Amino acid sequence: MYRLLKDRTIASFVSLVGLIVMVFFLSRLTGDPTNLFLPIDASQEMRDQFRRLHGLDQPLFNQFLNYVGDVLRLDFGDSVRRAQPALDVVLPAFLWTLQLAVITMVLVMGCAVLVGSLAAFRVGGFFDRLASFVSLIGASAPDFWIAIVVIVIFSVNLGWLPTSGTGSVAHWLLPIAVLFVRPFGLLVQVVRGSMITALSSAYVKTARAKGVKNLPLIFVHTLRNAMLPVITVMGDQAAALLNGAVVVESIFGFPGVGKLMIDSILQRDFNVVLAAIMVTAIAIFVMNLLIDIAYSLLDPRIRY
Amino acid sequence: MKRKLMLIGAALAFSAGAALAQDKTDVTIVLNEEVDLMEPCMATRSNIGRVVLQNINETLTELDVRGDKGLMPRLAESWEQLDGGVWRFHLRKGAKFSDGSDFDSADVEHTLKRTFSEKIVCESARYFAGMNLTYKVVDANTIDISSDPAQPILPLLLTLIPIVPSDTPEEFIRNPVGTGPYALTEWNVGENIVLTRRDDYWGEKPAVTKANYVVRGDAAVRAAMVAAGEADIAPTIADIDATNPETDFAYPNSETLYLRLDHSKPPLDDIRVRKALNMAIDKQAFIGTLLPAGTVEAVAMVPPTTLGWNGDIKPIPFDLEGAKKLLAEARADGVDVDQKIELVGRLNNYPNSTEVMEALQSMLADAGLNVDLKIYEVAEFEKLYSKPFPEDRAPQLVAAMHDNSRGDPVFSMYYKYHTEGTQSGISNPKVDEAIAAATAASGKEREKLWSDLFAYLYEDQVNDVMLFHMVGIARVATRLNWRPTIATNSSLQLSEIGFN
Repeated sequence: MYRLLKDRTIASFVSLVGLIVMVFFLSRLTGDPTNLFLPIDASQEMRDQFRRLHGLDQPLFNQFLNYVGDVLRLDFGDSVRRAQPALDVVLPAFLWTLQLAVITMVLVMGCAVLVGSLAAFRVGGFFDRLASFVSLIGASAPDFWIAIVVIVIFSVNLGWLPTSGTGSVAHWLLPIAVLFVRPFGLLVQVVRGSMITALSSAYVKTARAKGVKNLPLIFVHTLRNAMLPVITVMGDQAAALLNGAVVVESIFGFPGVGKLMIDSILQRDFNVVLAAIMVTAIAIFVMNLLIDIAYSLLDPRIRY
Repeated sequence: MKRKLMLIGAALAFSAGAALAQDKTDVTIVLNEEVDLMEPCMATRSNIGRVVLQNINETLTELDVRGDKGLMPRLAESWEQLDGGVWRFHLRKGAKFSDGSDFDSADVEHTLKRTFSEKIVCESARYFAGMNLTYKVVDANTIDISSDPAQPILPLLLTLIPIVPSDTPEEFIRNPVGTGPYALTEWNVGENIVLTRRDDYWGEKPAVTKANYVVRGDAAVRAAMVAAGEADIAPTIADIDATNPETDFAYPNSETLYLRLDHSKPPLDDIRVRKALNMAIDKQAFIGTLLPAGTVEAVAMVPPTTLGWNGDIKPIPFDLEGAKKLLAEARADGVDVDQKIELVGRLNNYPNSTEVMEALQSMLADAGLNVDLKIYEVAEFEKLYSKPFPEDRAPQLVAAMHDNSRGDPVFSMYYKYHTEGTQSGISNPKVDEAIAAATAASGKEREKLWSDLFAYLYEDQVNDVMLFHMVGIARVATRLNWRPTIATNSSLQLSEIGFN
C-alpha cells in the first residue's frame, strides 16, 4: 500500500507541475487585462500604472518565476476583484461544490447499483427495458435543459421548491436532482453490463445450484466482482462534478467553484482562476488515490 | 403513500417559504451580472450603478427620466453660472452620510479630487476628458467649480459623480458610505447584496425597507424567479421569456446599434455606396422577430430622449432596387464596389446578435455587395472598433452598440465623429467644428446645434448605417408599482418603487 501511495503521488506531482505551467501561460494568452479593467479610452499612463500595481509590467518569465515561488508557499496572491487572498475565495466555494458532489455521487451510486443490478437479473424483462430506456434518456439529456424544465415545473408551476440560490435544504434538491441525472444514466448502463457478465460466470451458477437465494446472490456474491468498471466510471463522473458543475451552478446561482471559475475567467481575475484550478487538481488527485485503494480492496489480485 | 407524498411536498414548500421569508416592504432584485466592485466612482458601469447610484451614494444633480423636468437638484439645492466659466453650487443642508458625518462642501471637493486622482482609475472621470476642473470651497454649503475650457453643461456632468465622505481613501473601496436613502448592510460576494433603508435620510422616506440583490446568469431563471414570487424585479429578461403582459415591460435601454463605416477606405468613401448600404437593409423585418417588438429604427447615435433630438429626420426606407441602382452608378464611375467588405461584429453583444449579423450580411449580399462576416470576442473586437485601427485593414462595417442615457449628445459625439474621436470612422472638419460649437453652447442654441449636426450626419453625409434604438425587457412583480425607464440600464432607484 505504501508503494502504491508513493508511486501515485510522484506521478500526480509531475502532472501537477505541467498543469501549473500550462495554466499560467494559457491565462496570459487570453488578452490584456487592462482592456477589461479600465475604460476603453483609458490613457497609456493609467494602463501602465495598473500593470505596475499588479506586476503585469515585468517580463513574462519573471512573472512566472514569482508565481511559482508563490505557489510553493501556497500563496496565490490576492483576488484583484475581491481584495482578499485568492485561496480564501476559492476554499469556501470548493466546499460548496464538494458537498454537492458528495451528496450527488452517494445517491447516484446507491440508485445506479440497485437499478442496474435488478435490470441485469432478468435481461429483456419489463424492468430491464424500463431501466435502459430511462438511463439512456438520463445519460443523453443536456443538463441546462433539464435544469430549466425542473425550475418551470417544480418552482413556477407547482411552487414546491425555490428556483435557485441557497439558504435551506429545499434549495439543494433541484441542483442535486439535475446533477444526479447524467451520472445515474451512465452508471446504470455500466452496472447492468458488468452484472450481466458476472451473473453468467461459473461461480454464480455454482451458488445457484447450492440454493443461494436471488437477493444475496446479486448483492453479496456477484456485485463485488462487478464493481471494478463501475468504480472507474464513477471516479470519472465524480471528477467532472468536482471540477465544478459549471452549468448547474451558474443556473441555480450556487456559489460553487465552477461558477467562481467562470466568473473569474470572465473578469480576468487570474489569481482566483489559478487557485481554483490548483485546489480542484489536488482534490482530483486525492480522489484518484482513493479509487486506486478501493480497487485493491475490492480485488485482492490487484497489487502494486 | 399519497398522504406521505403530500406531507413531503408541504414540508419542502414550507422550508422554501421559510428561507424566503421577508417583510412585505422588502424587495428582491435579480440582476444579470455580478457586481465586481462597490466603488461609487465606477458607478457609471451599469452593473455597479444599478446598486450604488442614488441608493447608497447620491450625486449633486439628477436627470429626470420619468417626467420632463430635465435636470433636478439632489445634493445641490441650486446652482448658477458666474463669470469666467465658474459654476456655483449651493449644497443641501442637513444631509448626513450613513456613518453619521455631516455632508458639506469639503466632501464635494474631496470627491472631485478623488475622482480625478492619478492613484485610482475612475470610470466617471472619462466623461470629463479634455477638461481641467478647479474647485474652490466658498463656505460649508457652497462650492465653486470651474472648467477650462468652459463647460456649459457642467451641472449635467455632475450627475455622473456620486459623492463620498471626505475621509474616503484614494483607492478602490468595498464598503461605500453615502448620503443616499439606503446603506450597504451585507455583501456576500458571488451570492447577494443587501441594502437597508436609513432612518436618518434627509429626504422623503421611501417605501422599500430592504433590498436584496441576487445574480443569476440565466435569463430564464431570472424570469422564473419573479414568476415564482422569489424576486420582485428582473431588470433584464430575454424576449423569448417575456410571455406575460402583466409583468413584462419593454423599455428603451439607451443603446443604439449601428454600423460604423470607415470613410478612409474605398468604396466606403463614396456617398452613393453608403446610401446603398442603408437602403439595402430592411430594418422593419428585424423588429418583432430577431429583435423585440418595441425596438425603434435609429437615425442618430443617441436615443430620442436626448437633448437636441431631431424629430424631422426620417429613417432611410428599405429600397433594394434603389440600392442596386446606386451601386451600379458608382460602379460606372469607377468605384470598386465589388471588392470584399468586412462586416465586423462582437460575440454575444445582445440577444440574437449573431443572427442579426447573418441577416445583415445576407441583405447586403442581395444588393450585390461582397460582404464577409467576422464575429470577434470583445478584446479582439475592440482592436478594430477603437483607434489606432490596424494599418492593413479591409473596408469595414463595424457593428457596434453605443449607450447614452445621460441626456446630452456630448457624451457620444466626440468619440464617435470627431477626427480625434477614439471610435470615429470619419475626419470631417465641418463636423469637428460643429461638435466644438455645440459642446461650448448652452440652452436653445445648444439644442439647435446638436439637432443640425444630426441632420447633417444622417441626411447629408449618410455617415453610417444607423440601425436601431434597442429595448430591454424587465419583469416586475404585480405587487410593485414600478416601471422600467431608459435609466434602468444604468441605475435602479429603490426610492422610486411603490407597492400596490
